[in-house]
Amino acid sequence: MPKALKLDKSAEEGVRELLRFLLENGKVKGVFTLSKLNEKGAVAYSLIANPETLGNAVPLFPLMPTNAGKMLSLPTPKESATEPIAAVVRPCELRAFVELVKRSQGSMENLLLISPTCGGVYPLKMAPDGGIAEKQPQYWEAVAKGDIAPDIRPACKTCVHFVPYTADITVDLIGSKNTDKECRLLLNTEKARQFTDGFAGEISEAGAESAELSQLRSKREAEREKLFGETQIEGMKGLIDIFGRCIGCHGCSKVCPICYCTLCYFESTDSEYKVATYDAELKRKGGLRVPPGTMFYHLGRLIHIATSCVGCGLCSDVCPVDIPVSTIFQKVSQPAQELFGYLAGRDVEEPMPLRTFETEEFAYVEQ
Amino acid sequence: MAATQLGATFPAERGVEEGILDFIRQALSKDCFDAVLIPVKVPAGDSFAYLLIQDESLLKDAHPLAPIMPVQGAKAISSITRYGKGSRRIAAVMRPCEVRATIELLKLGQVDLENIFLVSFDCPGALPLDDWFKDQKKAEDTFQELLKQWDSQGVRPVCRTCDQSSATGAEDLHIGILEAKDNSILLIPRSPKGQSILEQLGLSLTEDISGWKDKVDRLTTERRQIRGQAQKELEANVGGLDNLLDTFSLCINCHNCMRACPICYCRQCLFDSDKLKFAFDDYLMRAEKQGALRFPPETLLFHIGRMMHMTLSCVSCGACEDACPMSIPVAQVFSLVADRNQEEFDYVSGRSREEPLPLRVYKGEEFEEVEYDYSGTSAREETGDA
Repeated sequence: MPKALKLDKSAEEGVRELLRFLLENGKVKGVFTLSKLNEKGAVAYSLIANPETLGNAVPLFPLMPTNAGKMLSLPTPKESATEPIAAVVRPCELRAFVELVKRSQGSMENLLLISPTCGGVYPLKMAPDGGIAEKQPQYWEAVAKGDIAPDIRPACKTCVHFVPYTADITVDLIGSKNTDKECRLLLNTEKARQFTDGFAGEISEAGAESAELSQLRSKREAEREKLFGETQIEGMKGLIDIFGRCIGCHGCSKVCPICYCTLCYFESTDSEYKVATYDAELKRKGGLRVPPGTMFYHLGRLIHIATSCVGCGLCSDVCPVDIPVSTIFQKVSQPAQELFGYLAGRDVEEPMPLRTFETEEFAYVEQ
Repeated sequence: MAATQLGATFPAERGVEEGILDFIRQALSKDCFDAVLIPVKVPAGDSFAYLLIQDESLLKDAHPLAPIMPVQGAKAISSITRYGKGSRRIAAVMRPCEVRATIELLKLGQVDLENIFLVSFDCPGALPLDDWFKDQKKAEDTFQELLKQWDSQGVRPVCRTCDQSSATGAEDLHIGILEAKDNSILLIPRSPKGQSILEQLGLSLTEDISGWKDKVDRLTTERRQIRGQAQKELEANVGGLDNLLDTFSLCINCHNCMRACPICYCRQCLFDSDKLKFAFDDYLMRAEKQGALRFPPETLLFHIGRMMHMTLSCVSCGACEDACPMSIPVAQVFSLVADRNQEEFDYVSGRSREEPLPLRVYKGEEFEEVEYDYSGTSAREETGDA
């Protein structure tokens, strides 16, 4: 049973206090967390090395400007962090990072991972006009009750993996009635206990999962079924209907934490039509969409990432023509992962479905 | 603008758009070209895409005057001709800014125009993609009204300030619709290639186009003024490093702007490459030096780098801004910088096929200047030719 650490501060203030403690006491060299950049609504992940800069940290701000898993993989693709770092990331970002680690694109070493039970985030489009700040009271009320906060992204409304799987420290938010004056941190690992050693706060047993937490799970589950039900894509025609408006910016791939390829196949020469291909296709069809390969790109990406997709929703968020990319990808990913008894990012030891085989599968092929 | 003062009228009883399509049908049937590249409504009916059409029946869903610009036409031409001209002669019907971008890509070696006829039309502007996808019906109405009034109501900010919306120089054929009267459109040849199409169709160049031209000139003058004013206001908000940082602070690094840009043709952008991935210690060192390091770093560097790389060729088409999920006024900022940079070299992107790209040529005296500095004073003294 993990220990819980209680502070008489708001949840966000409490997390900031923990980060300050870690930095000031030299337990970590830097903290990786969301920070407010200015009054224009700009919030971005930052690596903070100086405790004085911590004032701008907004670790629980309900916005995902980039997937933190992707960000954490940036400095650690080949070698692990050389100094301890504390990172506050959302559960789906943590899962994305775990997938990247499995794909040798990051390392967990020297990272103290802190993650909240997540109430979801608002669409990126709401960031520029500062609309998110106004929604905060409503948001925290929903979090306390175990409700789905209105106006959060579809990916979040339908997410059932809002409790972090592999965090060292969980920030207990869902169902916590007093997040405005109380911060509850669950110390899940030995590492968490070591790092928080000496940090002021009242220690108790963590206790069982709250009713609100399981209640939210069923609500999100229902919402998920509803959304999947509404998103019916029948055959090639259905795919053309939904992806037909794609402008080919590939923003979905660029922001996807799983799409880590430096040069995507669909941006390579191999994917381009040569003169002869154009001639032949035009002759065959009489008409041809240019640039070609829109559907091929989406289906290709889907096949490449489905078993690792964590449903973070960023792909939908950056789509300039509002294609529900994330919903479609999740609708495919969920059964694809279930087929292998796999859940992306649940456990760093869990082997990736397409990277492993069971002996009987091998025998079957050999026959 | 070229000296041509005569054009041909072409019937458009069923409206301007149908008139343009009839012209294309006729030209296809008379073998003026083999295929046409033109915006077509996608099967779901909720957007437009460039379609390369050989089968004339597919023209039924074509919309040369699409209310939005989902893909910049120059990118489509580049996709078709990047590896060579192909065996078909293709007419590409697109907005003037798309033609201009195509000309820049020609200079950058990314298109082959030997078998391409560039056909442009008076452009009423394009609506923001956001507005279109928010309420398609309303957007359609706005656009129809726009075609009647030519008053820039509801178009994208860069279109509102566009002073190159008609026949900007390097097209083969221009279609005048600004002063569409008597249910007809104007076909104005802009190159021998364009002229040959009209000849093949048996259209005689007898129509005096000065009325159309006056109207274009008036609009251009008016827009130039609006552009100057808008840029002055914008500069006050984005000029200087602090303002620039603030303007791009919302950037989430998706690089949609770069991908939508017709000029950014690099297969792998430096800013997407491993060149900008550093070791952990480097990031930590920078964070320690500054107190904090934003992730991903180099967000502003990306924009400034892209600006340096492409503003001499920027055609102010607005595709970047349309694709930005954070509503950053990318196109307006780039347009401002582009105007200043191009002015410096007395260059206008896409104006002519012959005009060399500023950074690809040098003048004799520039070379001497470089040589002089390079040789250094002491070296000259030693050889006695100072």
